[in-house]
Amino acid sequence: MSTSPRKRPASEALVAGGVVFLLIAIVGLVFWSGAGQALYPPKAATTQAVEISRLYDIVFAIAVAIFIAVEGLIVWTILRYRRRPADVDLPPQTHGNNLVEALWTLIPTVIVLYLFAISAGTLTTVEAVSPNPDVRIHAVAGQFQWKFEYLDASGTVLATQTRPIGEGGGMAVPVGRTVYVTLDSPDVIHAWYVPRFLFKRDVVPGQTNHFEFVVNEDEAGQRFSGQCAELCGTGHRAMLFDVVAMTQADYDAWLAVLIEAGNATPPPAPSGAPVLNLVAKDIAYDTTTLDAPAGVPFVIAFKNEDVPGVPHDVDIRQQDGTTVVQDQETIDGDAETNYTYDALEAGTYTFICSIHPIPAMTGTLTVQ
Amino acid sequence: MTTAVAHPEPHAASGHAQRGISNPILGMLLFITSEVMFFAGLFAAYFATRAANTPWPPAVFAHILDPLGPIIFATILLIASSFTCQFAVWSIRRGDRRGYLRNIGITFVLGVVFLAMQVYDYGLLFSEGMTMGSGPFGTTYFTLTGFHGAHVFGGVLMLGVILYRGMAGQFSAKHHDAVEAVSLYWHFVDVVWILLFTILYLI
Amino acid sequence: MATHALSPAAAGYRGGVYEWLTTTDHKKIGIMYLVNSFFFFLIGGIFALLVRTELATPGIQLFENEHVYNEAFSIHATVMIFLFIIPILAGLGNYAVPLMIGAPDMAFPRINALSFWMLPLGGILLLAGFLTEGGAAAAGWTSYPPLSERGALSSPGPGQDLWIVSLVLIGTSSILGGINFLVTIFKMRAPGMTLFRMPIMVWTILVTSVLVVMATPVITSALVMLFIDRNYGGSFFLPDEGGTAVLYQNVFWFYSHPAVYVMVLPAMGVISEVLPVFSRKPLFGYKAFIFATAGIGALGFSVWAHHMFTTGAVFLPFFALMTFFIAVPTGVKMFNWVFTMFRGQLTFSTPLVFAIGFLTMFLIGGINGAFSASVPVDFALHDTYWVVAHLHYVLFGGSVFGVFAGIYYWFPKMTGRMLDEGLGHIHFWIMFVGFNLTFFPMHMLGIKGMPRRIADYDQFAGWNDWNLLATIGGFLIAVSMLPFIWNVFVSLRNGKVAGDDPWEGNTLEWATSSPPPPYNFDRLPEIRSERPLFDARHGPTAHGGHGGPDQEEAPKLLEEDGHDDQGPTA
Repeated sequence: MSTSPRKRPASEALVAGGVVFLLIAIVGLVFWSGAGQALYPPKAATTQAVEISRLYDIVFAIAVAIFIAVEGLIVWTILRYRRRPADVDLPPQTHGNNLVEALWTLIPTVIVLYLFAISAGTLTTVEAVSPNPDVRIHAVAGQFQWKFEYLDASGTVLATQTRPIGEGGGMAVPVGRTVYVTLDSPDVIHAWYVPRFLFKRDVVPGQTNHFEFVVNEDEAGQRFSGQCAELCGTGHRAMLFDVVAMTQADYDAWLAVLIEAGNATPPPAPSGAPVLNLVAKDIAYDTTTLDAPAGVPFVIAFKNEDVPGVPHDVDIRQQDGTTVVQDQETIDGDAETNYTYDALEAGTYTFICSIHPIPAMTGTLTVQ
Repeated sequence: MTTAVAHPEPHAASGHAQRGISNPILGMLLFITSEVMFFAGLFAAYFATRAANTPWPPAVFAHILDPLGPIIFATILLIASSFTCQFAVWSIRRGDRRGYLRNIGITFVLGVVFLAMQVYDYGLLFSEGMTMGSGPFGTTYFTLTGFHGAHVFGGVLMLGVILYRGMAGQFSAKHHDAVEAVSLYWHFVDVVWILLFTILYLI
Repeated sequence: MATHALSPAAAGYRGGVYEWLTTTDHKKIGIMYLVNSFFFFLIGGIFALLVRTELATPGIQLFENEHVYNEAFSIHATVMIFLFIIPILAGLGNYAVPLMIGAPDMAFPRINALSFWMLPLGGILLLAGFLTEGGAAAAGWTSYPPLSERGALSSPGPGQDLWIVSLVLIGTSSILGGINFLVTIFKMRAPGMTLFRMPIMVWTILVTSVLVVMATPVITSALVMLFIDRNYGGSFFLPDEGGTAVLYQNVFWFYSHPAVYVMVLPAMGVISEVLPVFSRKPLFGYKAFIFATAGIGALGFSVWAHHMFTTGAVFLPFFALMTFFIAVPTGVKMFNWVFTMFRGQLTFSTPLVFAIGFLTMFLIGGINGAFSASVPVDFALHDTYWVVAHLHYVLFGGSVFGVFAGIYYWFPKMTGRMLDEGLGHIHFWIMFVGFNLTFFPMHMLGIKGMPRRIADYDQFAGWNDWNLLATIGGFLIAVSMLPFIWNVFVSLRNGKVAGDDPWEGNTLEWATSSPPPPYNFDRLPEIRSERPLFDARHGPTAHGGHGGPDQEEAPKLLEEDGHDDQGPTA
């Protein structure tokens, strides 16, 4: 700089340096105070997630370093080299410098090669699949609900969890055990995503994806929310599910109950109650009008003729289509059940599939 | 000045250059580049679809892919038309307008005959119940040959235009960029067919 | 032609509407590109505000149902990408490139007009979807099948078909425009304008055009296949019938990743023009910059599958490595820009302020992209708001700031009047703050697990504050447009008269009148470097500064820098 014909006052450099230092201090303060936590992933819940989280930390540290270095350089430059009234003559016409070009090609290359190497290492760990997993789950994502089939070693379905969230719902897994998940979709692409697993995988129709995880031992009793991460239509944001971590004993008991429930025959229609028939196919009911007598319980014999993975139910709502009167559990495609409803007052109601309000999978229930 | 001295030949490839290939021909070459990429997309889809479906072609349709059937004649016609097209270019470069008209006329007719044969072929396939909706095989077959056919149709239109302009005496040994450009396009259409024939019928 | 060129003030040049509608003048077409693009920027912006309003608080408030929400963000992205950013950069190129290389017009003026007019037509077709049964396309701007196929729960209506037709039309417009640029750049340069004396803006348009010509037809093929599936019983992407769903993603991203560079390279070109002018220094590492641009273009074709890391259907390490590598030439550019300003004399006119905005924001867009290049981290971040943050830091923080730098920079040339500096700075600061308020919180949302494209979220997920902040920021961005629009309208009539060269520019467009005459130039200065006007102003010896003893200041340096590869390429 001493070669420059016009000497800039040293104070300008000081001010510029001061501002840059201040900015760095602010960034430092943000992280030191814990406010920077917002930029960290949630607590990793699986051994795989712990690896990913560790990798994230490294990438993040490098990112912050580069951010501070380059933004600092920019800020310093624009503060230090503003044109002053005395600047009539041109500044030195520097056209380039092969040495520095080589440097700032080489150094980033080394950095990205390093990042690639550690990423590839973590990838191998995350993608690894054990030959004999402790638990096998076949997750099916249909528009717009999840179901989880628990398989034995030969691939036979032991039990099916059709309630993806809520009380008694969710995909239960034992902690500390290898859980091998296969993914299938009967319709469009979905994605299985649990933020605390730091992991998602697409559920692609016509292609069975798989992955494996082990929930950390200290997470027993935790419920991890998950949801579909690939736009799948109008019910996309409602495609929620939970993963429920249990001790091995709890898990065994839970699975036994689920198997038991699967073997139970559907509840017989209460004798004497009037029975209405309703069939669902191609995301539509076979009728848009039903009639029921007022003041007595009644039954809808419901048959879902869509493919497995496409769930339906028959809820009764007020005429506005949103206020729930009576709620029912969904059933999977290619299944049937008897829904029993409590007595209703005379009037007009809406019956609706809670999974498919759009396009209108709904009709009018007249009670008289 | 120093720069100019340092580069004694900086004007060689610059300026509103009249040297090298003309604007329309360069434009056509670039257009053909984009067309190549378009077909590359379709070909990639074809191979991906084929890899995901065995046997290929499905047994019911296997017999339609006989390379020695009528399709071989269509292929020979189209390859021949590329030659006549090139003869036409050489003719007009020499200033031989009669030779140009004769050759481009033959090319035009061959193109039309090829299209007619393709229409006839489609008719046969439809009568056998093979349509765009006949699974991946029907879809890829009709998409690939259909888009090629559409390009042949476009090429025939262009040939018609340069035939008409040739008859109106608009081309000479010096001024015939349109002929050069159309011939490039016609060769491209021909090459695409050779590739198509190879992947559909031979391998 | 020659007579026209000699009478720049030819009457009728400022003709009426008919004149504009039928023009083949690249400058008028360029300006029409800009106006048309800003119109669609407004429309895309309104959709963005609708989306942000819905997301401001949990629950479904604004839209009657999720389908309309899906339409809103799908059309927002489609409009912003295909009808705003790509065309507005093409528009700046259309205006600037012939002027910068000393050409009278584009190589094919009528095809140029055709390219332009396909855009509003495509836009109208796209938006016409709202009038059809089932509404506009709602499968996202990526429109992955089978969601974009004709299922009852997918995309049964004609809106999706209109989307396809519209994109094919816009794509064709891009291809024709790209061919036009390439022929213009290769064949229409003024005497002395060798390839390695071209302004960087022209180089970026050159590389962009190569990408457009080679990549856009590929998306056309994907769209055509989707159309066949939807309307003629095809089964390309229908797994039930033997098709492959992921095939579309491969073909789509083979275009759409290079398309990202189509959306950002010309903006890099703009700021590579602005930074030297307002620093009073040449661009640092002119050649390195060109090679970096070409390198980005070439690598751009080998990274498409990094959008598909979670599909379980791509070879992860290869695409991860290529994606990391693409950071290198981008980094080279960043340092070249900063060192262009380094030891310069910076004048903080609005174009420079926006260019610095580009530098600081694009840097973040590059850094947060590196997270997604790391495959395991991408497993966490893919399809979350992190990606939304990343792409907006690149395309808004990068491209849009670059676009505004270009608008403020060339407005005097286009109209003969200066934009007001005060309003320009107000515009910048509101936009800068609004932009960061909108998109920085999305990093937090993404890493904490909020997926993209959801109309509603759990109120206890801890996402409420960040979402509200982002919505406020979104409206601030909208507000920042007001001083800009006001500025344009006022300055058109009452702005300071610009003169030929208000900024002491380096490149040829500043050698002609403002606005330039039809066919652009009465006469051209001698072209002996990439800064012909600088040479004319200061004399060729000025390259060496004023006799400073520093090695880098010696006149030799341009030669050293320019020699090695001149031979074969020239």
